[in-house]
Amino acid sequence: MSNALHGLVVALVPAARRDERLRSELTEDALHILNSHIGSSRQVDIGHIAGNIRSKLSAQDSLRFSNLMGRLLDQDLLTRKHAVLQFMAALSASSNQPQPIIPPLVPSISRSSPSSPHPRSRKSSIAPPPQMVNDRTTTATKSKAQLLREYRLRHGRPQVAESVLLRDTLYLLQGISGKFVKFTEGKGDGELTVTFSEEPRYVLPAPTRALILRLSELGHLYVRVSKWSLSHHLQSQLTEYYRLIAVLESQMSQSGAAEDDGRGGGPREEESGLTLRRLEVWVDEWRLRMRMMSVCVEGCQDSAGGALVSLIYGYTDNGDPFVRGFTDQLLEEVSKPFFQTLQRWLFTGELHDPYSEFFVAANEELAHLQYTHAYSNANVGVLTGDGGFAGAEDEERNDSDETRNNGLILWEGKYQFRKDMLPSFVGESFGRKIFSTGKSLNFIRYSCHDSDWVATRSKLDHTGRALKYSDLPGLARSIDSAYQIASKRLLDIFLDKFRLLDHLKALKSYLLLGQGDFADQLMEALLTSLSRPANTLYRHNLTATLEAAVRSSNARYDPPDVLRRLDARMMEYSHGEIGWDVFTLEYKVDAPIDTVIDPEGMEKYLKIFHHLWKMKRVEGALSASWNRIACGARSFLGPTIKGVRRRSSAHSDVLERLEGEWHQIRVVLSEMIHFMRQLQAFCQLEVIECSWKELMDFVTKKDGDLDGLIQAHRNYLDRMVKKILLISPKAGKEEHLLIQVRELFNNILQFRDAAETLYNYCLAEAARADSERDHDRGVFTISESDGLGASKSADNLPRILRRVKEYSGLFTERAQAIVHSLQLHQDLDCRFLSVRLNFSDFYKTRKELKAALEASKAS
Amino acid sequence: MPREIVTVQLGQCGNQMGSVYWQRLCAEHGINKEGILEEWATEGGDRKDVFFYQADDEHYIPRAILVDLEPRVINTILTSPFANLYNPENIFVSKDGGGAGNIWAQGYGAGEKIYEEVMEMVDREAEGSDSLEGFMLMHSIAGGTGSGLGSFVLERLNDRFPKKLIQTYSVFPNHAEPDVVVQPYNSLLTLRRLVDHADSVVVLDNGALARIAADRLHIQNPSFDQTNQLVSTVIAASTQTLRYPSYMNNDLVGIVASLIPTPRCHFLMTSYTPFTGDQIDQAKSTRKTTVLDVMRRLLQPKNRMVSTTPNKTACYISILNIIQGNVDPTDVHQSLLRIRERQLANFIPWGPASIQVALTRKSPYIAASHRVSGLMLANHTSIASLFKRMLDQYDRLRKRNAFLEQYKKEKIFEGGYGEFDESRAVVEELLREYQACESPDYISYGTGEADAS
Repeated sequence: MSNALHGLVVALVPAARRDERLRSELTEDALHILNSHIGSSRQVDIGHIAGNIRSKLSAQDSLRFSNLMGRLLDQDLLTRKHAVLQFMAALSASSNQPQPIIPPLVPSISRSSPSSPHPRSRKSSIAPPPQMVNDRTTTATKSKAQLLREYRLRHGRPQVAESVLLRDTLYLLQGISGKFVKFTEGKGDGELTVTFSEEPRYVLPAPTRALILRLSELGHLYVRVSKWSLSHHLQSQLTEYYRLIAVLESQMSQSGAAEDDGRGGGPREEESGLTLRRLEVWVDEWRLRMRMMSVCVEGCQDSAGGALVSLIYGYTDNGDPFVRGFTDQLLEEVSKPFFQTLQRWLFTGELHDPYSEFFVAANEELAHLQYTHAYSNANVGVLTGDGGFAGAEDEERNDSDETRNNGLILWEGKYQFRKDMLPSFVGESFGRKIFSTGKSLNFIRYSCHDSDWVATRSKLDHTGRALKYSDLPGLARSIDSAYQIASKRLLDIFLDKFRLLDHLKALKSYLLLGQGDFADQLMEALLTSLSRPANTLYRHNLTATLEAAVRSSNARYDPPDVLRRLDARMMEYSHGEIGWDVFTLEYKVDAPIDTVIDPEGMEKYLKIFHHLWKMKRVEGALSASWNRIACGARSFLGPTIKGVRRRSSAHSDVLERLEGEWHQIRVVLSEMIHFMRQLQAFCQLEVIECSWKELMDFVTKKDGDLDGLIQAHRNYLDRMVKKILLISPKAGKEEHLLIQVRELFNNILQFRDAAETLYNYCLAEAARADSERDHDRGVFTISESDGLGASKSADNLPRILRRVKEYSGLFTERAQAIVHSLQLHQDLDCRFLSVRLNFSDFYKTRKELKAALEASKAS
Repeated sequence: MPREIVTVQLGQCGNQMGSVYWQRLCAEHGINKEGILEEWATEGGDRKDVFFYQADDEHYIPRAILVDLEPRVINTILTSPFANLYNPENIFVSKDGGGAGNIWAQGYGAGEKIYEEVMEMVDREAEGSDSLEGFMLMHSIAGGTGSGLGSFVLERLNDRFPKKLIQTYSVFPNHAEPDVVVQPYNSLLTLRRLVDHADSVVVLDNGALARIAADRLHIQNPSFDQTNQLVSTVIAASTQTLRYPSYMNNDLVGIVASLIPTPRCHFLMTSYTPFTGDQIDQAKSTRKTTVLDVMRRLLQPKNRMVSTTPNKTACYISILNIIQGNVDPTDVHQSLLRIRERQLANFIPWGPASIQVALTRKSPYIAASHRVSGLMLANHTSIASLFKRMLDQYDRLRKRNAFLEQYKKEKIFEGGYGEFDESRAVVEELLREYQACESPDYISYGTGEADAS
C-alpha cells in the first residue's frame, strides 16, 4: 500500500519525483487521509457501539447504561439510534473535562455571566478521565481540526492558539490592534482595514480569519461610533458595550487561568468558556446596534440638530421591530435638546441654540437692531414736538434710513427658517408655524416692547406642557395653540397698540385720496403754485398748505398721531419741471408699523398717489371749466333764441356765430367729464374699495400670523397698482396703457387751455360789445388799448378754434383707442373699466368703426 | 374752507319743504331743535359746515334764508319746536302780509320792493362763507310767491353771483288737479327763469308725488306734511355726498357737471327707493333691498318723481345714483353689469353715458329699516313731455286770454304780454332741445339750428 501511494504521488506531483522529502511527506499525508474516516459511512451496529461505550464505563455505570439503552431501543420515534449513540460516544471522547453541553448562546449581561459553568449534564459527569482520551489521539474519534493542528504543530508551523486570538479579538472589539490581527489605516481615506500578521510561523486558518474579520467589523464600527459620540444616549449605549467587553474579558482570563492550572499550555480551547465562535454569537446583537449607531453617526457627520433628528426619524419606519425600537429610543434621547430649544422658542420666542442645531437661525447682523427701535421712536417723538413738519431735511433722511433698516427687514431677516434642519416628523407646515410663533413672540418682546407680554406668556404657559418626541399629537396641539395665541397677540398689538388700522385708513384717505374733501381742498389751494417751476416751490409753503387743507376738511378729526405723519414735499426735480411733476404727499411710518407698511409698499402707495393725483387735477380742471362755461351760459355765452331779447348782455354777432362752437365744446367736455369720472369711480370703487374689503376681511378674521397680514397688505397694494395703473401682463408693454391714459390727461388739459382762451376771447368780445353799446349811448367805459386787445385776439380766433378742434379730435381718438385696448385687457377688472366707459355702447368696436368708415367712403 | 351752500326758501311751499328738510338734516347730523349738537352725536365723518354755521355759542345755524309774502307758514315755523334753529335775521315776511295772491306778476312785482332787504340777507350769508359754492332755491312754480318772487330772486342772484352755482328744487304743479287756475301762466313764466338763470333744476312733480304716495305708500290723499317728507328725503339724499364726504362728488359742481352736458338741458328727475314708515307715517315697508334691487327700481318710471308720458325714443342723458348704506362695493359692480346686460336704460346716442354710482354713508343717528336706499338724479329727455303739457295748458288758457288782467297790473306787463310770448319761446326751445337730444345729430344742434333759421 505504501508503494502504491508512492507511485501515485510520483505520478501526480511531478515536483515530488526529484524531491525525496516532499515525496515522503505527501505519501504520509495520503496515508493519513486513508487512515482517516473521511467519507466512509460506518455501518456499525448498535450492539458494537454499545459495547464500545460499555467498555469505557465502570460496572455500575454500565448497568445503568444497559438500562438506559434498553429504554432507548424501545423508543419507536427515534430512527437513527445508532447515530445518537455514536454521537454521544464521540462527545464523551472529546470532552475530558466536565463542562456545560449547552452554553447560554447569548451572554445575558443583566442576568448571569457566561463565566459560571457548572456541570449540569449527566453525560459530562460520566465522561471518561482525560488521560483516556489523550491516549487515543491517533484514533478516528479525534476531530479533523485537531488532527490538522497537531499535524501543523509537528511540522513547526503551529496554529495560533485560539486563546491568543481571542485576546486579540477582544482588543479588536475595542478598536485596538492585537498581536496577530491589526487595524491598519488605509491610505488616504483613513478607513480602517483589518490585516493579519504575516509571520509565516503562525498560521491562521481561513475560517478563523473569516470569523475574526466578522468580529472585527464590530470593532471597526465601534471606532467610528466612539470617535464622534452623538449624545448621551449613544454614550450610554457604549457604556453597555464596554460592560459586555469587560465581562467577556473576565471570562477569557478565567478560562486562561483554568488552562494554566490544567496542563500548562495545551491547546484546549474547546473546553474554555470563551471561543471565537461563542464570542461571535454573543456579540451578534451588538453588531446590529453598532451598525445602527454607526449609520447614525455616519449620517451625522455633516448634520446636526434637526437634520440629525430627521435622519434618525427616517429609520423609525424600519420594518424590523428591533431597529424601530432602537431608533425610537435613540430619537427620544437625541431629540431632547431639540425639544428644549423648541420649547423655549415656541413659548418665549428666544432662540437658545449655541450649536446652531435648530431649524431657526438668527441673523447676527440684525440681532442688534432691536435696540435701535427705541431711538428711532424717540426721534419721531421729537418731530412731534414741533408739529411734525419742521424736521430738517438731513435729519429726516437719517430717520428714514433708520426705519429702512427696521421693520420688515427685521421681521423677515432676523430669523431664518432652515428647512434642511427641520425634523421630518414635524412637517413643513408645522415647522413654519413654529417658526412664525417664535418669531412673533420675539417680535412682540423686542420690537413691539409689549408690556402685556407677561399676560401672553402666562396664557402660553397653560398650553405649554413638556414637549417631547413620544407625544407627537400633543406637540401638534401645543404648536397649534401657541401659534394661535402668539399670532393673535401680535396682530392685536399691531392693530390695537400700534393702531395699524388707523395708518392703513390714513394711507387710504390721504395717499389714495379717499378723503375727497381733503384732496379737493389741497388741490384747490395748490392749484396755482403747482403750475410754477419746481424750483420756485418752497417746502414750508407746501406744508402750510397741507395743514390748511387738513384743518378745513374732515381730516382734522383724524388722530393727531396720524396727522403728524402726513407730509407734503417735493421729489427731486430736474430742470424745467413744474410743481405738478414733483409734488408728493408723504406718510411716515416707523417701527414696528413699517413691518407691514414697508418702504417698498410705500413706494407703491406713492406711485398710486401720483396717478390718482393727476386724475384729480384733471377732474378739477374739468369741473372748473364746466363751471365757467355753465355760468357763462347764464350771461354772455347763453344761447340766443329767436324773438327773445337777451337779458344780461349785449348782442354780439361774433358771439352768436360761436354758439355752435360752444355747443360742440360742451359735448366734448361732457365726454371728458364722463371719461374722468368713470375712470375715477373705477379706481375708487372697483379697485380701492374692493381691495380694501379683502384686506379688512383678513383683519377682522385675524386668521393668520404677521406674515399673513404682511402678505394681505402686499396683495392689497399689488392689486391696486396693477389695476389702477392698468398694468398689462405683456412683457415690455406693462405701462403701455398707462402712458396712453397719461397722454389723454395732458390732452384734456390742453383742450381745457384752448377752451379757456376761447372763453377769454368771448369775454373780451362781450365787453367790447357792451362798450360799443355804451358808446352808442355816449358813455365811454373802455379804454382804447383794451379795445385794441380785443380786436387783436379777434385775428387769433381761427387759430384758437383750430386748437380747440385739434385737441377735441385727439381726445376722441385717444379715448376710443383706450376703450379698445381695455376691451382686450387680460385683467377682468380692467376690462370692466371699458364697460364703464362704454356703458351706452357709444364707442364703436374696431369692426364697427371700420365698417362705418367704408360705408362713408362708399357714399 | 367748506364749500358752503346757502338755501333760499320762498313762499308757502318752499318754506314748508324747507322746514321739513332742516328737521331732517338736524336729525341726520345729531343736532337738536335748539341747534345744539347732541352729546351722543360723536361719530363724526359728516360735514355740518356745508349747510350750517356755528354761532359764537357753538349753536349750529342753518345757512337758510326764509322769505314769504304772507306770514302764515313762517309763523307756523316760528311757533314750532324748531323756531330757535333759524337765524331770526334771515327770516323775511312782507310787512303788508298780503301775499302774492297766486299771481306770478304780483310776486315778481313784490320782489322789486323787498329786493334790498332780501339781498342783504343773501350777501351776509355769502360773506359768512369761506368759499361759497352756490345757492339752493326751494319753491313751487305754480303759486304766486314761490314762482314770482322766486323768478325775481333767481335773476338777481344770477347778476350778483355770476360765478356761483344756482340749483333749485322746484315743485311743479299737479296738472291733473290744479290748485290754482292761473297755474299755467305762473309755471311758464317761472320756467323761463329756471331755464335762463339756474344751473340745475331738480323737478319735483306734485302729480308724481301724489301718485307715489298712493301707489307706493297707499296714502290716497297725502297731506302737505307727508308730501314734504317725501321731498325732504329726496333733497337730503341729493346732498348726502356733500355732507358725508368720500372720494368723489364732494362738491356740487362735480355732481352737476356730470349730469348736465349742455346748459339748457338742466332739468333733473329724481327717483327714490325705498320709501318707508321712517319717512312717511302709515307707510308699508317694501321687500328686502339689495343694491341691484335699488338700482333697478330707481330706473322704473313709476318711481320717478316726475310724471311723464311714455315715449320709446326717450333716453337718459346722464344718471347719478347715490346709494346710501352699508354696501359691498362688489355688489355695485355686479349690479352695473346686470343692468347693462338687460339694457334697462337707454342712453343718448351722441356721447358716452353711464350710470354713475356714488356710495355714501348713512347717518348713524337715524335707524333705518333698510340696509340700502338709493336716490337717482337723472337727466332724461322724457321731461320734455312735462314741458309739452305745460305749454298746452298755457296755450289753452292764453287762447281765451283768461285771467290776464291780474297780470296787467304789474310793471312787467305794462308794455303788453311780450313776456308771455318770450317765455313761451324759451320753453318751446327747451322742449325742442330735449327732443333733439334723442338724436345723434345733437352734436351739431346749435349750428344746424342757426343754419336752418
